[in-house]
Amino acid sequence: MMAQNIPESHMQIIRSAKNYEEAIRVASKPLLEYDYITEEYVQAMIDSIEEHGPYIVLADDFALPHARPSEAVKETGLSLLTVKEGVDLKGNTVKLFVVLAAKDSSSHNEMLQSLAEFLMDKQNIKDVVACNTVKDIKTILNERWN
Amino acid sequence: MKILAVCGFGVGSSMILKMTIQKAMREIGVEGDVINTDISDSTGHNADAVFSSPDFIGDLEKRFKNKDVKLYAIKRYSDLSEVKEKVQDLVDSKK
Repeated sequence: MMAQNIPESHMQIIRSAKNYEEAIRVASKPLLEYDYITEEYVQAMIDSIEEHGPYIVLADDFALPHARPSEAVKETGLSLLTVKEGVDLKGNTVKLFVVLAAKDSSSHNEMLQSLAEFLMDKQNIKDVVACNTVKDIKTILNERWN
Repeated sequence: MKILAVCGFGVGSSMILKMTIQKAMREIGVEGDVINTDISDSTGHNADAVFSSPDFIGDLEKRFKNKDVKLYAIKRYSDLSEVKEKVQDLVDSKK
């Protein structure tokens, strides 16, 4: 079950962010706090956007910040951030960030497969962004992300 | 039919793209393999087509210029209708 991979403690809701870099730093905080990743991984995700462009915007309003599996990832996991007012990511507005920390190239595959299914229904993204509490987000994920 | 889903690292976005392509293939009713990979490993695979983001297409064109491979730029990796249109184009080109 996918939803179990994003505990409520890894979810945050904020009103606005100065820019996408700030949003990604905020979104990554739970993974830093719970020791899934190091600061280097956060920087690598931000650098990757500079290098590769905004392709991590996988759907309207949705981005999946991530970087190459490395020693900067201690445990595979996800964190989630909604930015109510949205933030610009190189010409794309993003309101929902899911940070992917992948320790290797396969341990997260099941998680991503269920995420892919979830994202193909655009209404799911809208509904998560509309939530005002992480508990409500968790309820949606439990119902639809599996 | 063999399709490569390519992104910068071959682990995150390309995995999502692979799932979208597979779903599009199921809906169209065509069989084949989809492999997700990063840009530097992409030329190590034989494929009928490469799907990637507009940011990578220029680089991929250089890498695949001597090969008979169709390149498709996908703006939104999880946009099923966008991906389906490109898969359909590939299927039609093989007829």
